[in-house]
Amino acid sequence: MKNPLKDTIVVIQFPGVNCEYETAAAVRSIGLGVAIFRWNEAPSLLDDCTGIIIPGGFSYQDRIRAGVVAAKDRIMDKVAELARGGKPVLGICNGAQVLVESGLIPGIHWEKVDLALAPNVMADREGYYCNWVHLKKEKSDCLWTKGFHDGEVIPVPIAHAEGRFVTEDAGVLAAMKKNDQIALRYCDPAGAVIESFPVNPNGSVENIAGVSNREGNVLAMMPHPERATWLRQVPEDLGGPWGRKRRGAAGEAARMEDEGPGRRFFAALRDGKGGAR
Amino acid sequence: MKTRVELWVRLKVIDLVTQTARMTLAEKLNFADTLRGMTHYWYWGMDAEGTDAKGALDEIDRVIRLDGAFTNQNKHLYRLAGEREPVRGDLALEKDFAVSGPAVSGAAGGASGPGATGGGLFAFDCLVREKRPDRETGFAERLNGRLRGVAVSNMKYGEVWRLIVSAPSSDAALADVERMLVSRSRREGLLLNPHYQLYEIIATTRIEAGKSTGSARTKE
Repeated sequence: MKNPLKDTIVVIQFPGVNCEYETAAAVRSIGLGVAIFRWNEAPSLLDDCTGIIIPGGFSYQDRIRAGVVAAKDRIMDKVAELARGGKPVLGICNGAQVLVESGLIPGIHWEKVDLALAPNVMADREGYYCNWVHLKKEKSDCLWTKGFHDGEVIPVPIAHAEGRFVTEDAGVLAAMKKNDQIALRYCDPAGAVIESFPVNPNGSVENIAGVSNREGNVLAMMPHPERATWLRQVPEDLGGPWGRKRRGAAGEAARMEDEGPGRRFFAALRDGKGGAR
Repeated sequence: MKTRVELWVRLKVIDLVTQTARMTLAEKLNFADTLRGMTHYWYWGMDAEGTDAKGALDEIDRVIRLDGAFTNQNKHLYRLAGEREPVRGDLALEKDFAVSGPAVSGAAGGASGPGATGGGLFAFDCLVREKRPDRETGFAERLNGRLRGVAVSNMKYGEVWRLIVSAPSSDAALADVERMLVSRSRREGLLLNPHYQLYEIIATTRIEAGKSTGSARTKE
């Protein structure tokens, strides 16, 4: 019997996630097949899929610590196995927290927890923060960012309370830099990486917004590209070229359906730019 | 005069976070035979300075009962204690030693604290805190803005996991507890991420056969 997930992108639905349908819509927008996969289905079904996305939300209600309970789930054994074999895996927001807590990111020491996504540290506020931010695409072999050129500025929204990449191990940070694993950094609209809030919206070390594994097939990113997949999702008052494009399309329904700045994260798979080193 | 004050808070109803943690430890991290009981608390420890210890404790009690950042009496029990002062609140910590599974065997009555010999049940109160002191400072500022004639300092805030484990010795029990606490890999540890959190064992209790209450509470 044919595996129904063959040649599809799979979006894993842990209990408590809430971005699985928008993420699936983003994948569909680039013409790829997609399926939402419940966490307690047979893990072997994932063998033939094209790629795996762990979406945003609150898996297990963020109990204990965001992402940690899902990270211990049986399905993550299979995700780890497939990731090691080169299958593309993307974790968005809570999905990024799952990948960090499961040790798949940064993956320098196999399955070891080398990073944390700690509570945000922000000037004069604490807790949850939701806004559009700018990302700088860094030089990297990450397949999920290959649709962007080095130094490109990408506006996307964030929405989290625990998004501060941090490590106690200076060697891990050094290795991530040496291996070009820091795929995305928070920057201002002109591309300047400024450490302070609000450019760095959560206090992440080195302004890190996204980290890939060494091989480049797994990416954990806190921002939500699926919420920036269509031009209509871009706020009218956003600065820079995407804001101008959005304002220029006001009142034209067809143009509002044009590509948004986040779609290329998904399109890298379709365009054949993927493939682990 | 200065006195050390501790505030413990827990839910009155079934704590689903604790249930999830216990199931994860038992079913996914293979502690089903070891972990016999688990309770979760929020904890604040602080130095309080006022004219006398009783007055300081009374004043802190007045404020924390009115401030939902510390306790909401609709859903929480609390215990406020100071040195040599009667305890305030309705949380009986000494009764939170419920265990599941077979009856305790091999527990030598009378032994307590780390280093005790013989197997049995051991309870560890593990305080998990963030390495950044921002929230602790914030709680101290919040209290100091509301207290009259009392000032608090040296605030320590975190969550306490009371883990009751069955082990052949207290050293083995402590080793198991550390493996439950610290997330070192996907297959090891759950309750804290060492890259931004730390822990300390603030009390250890040997649970004697036939009793569900702690014996000595040993500070480390």
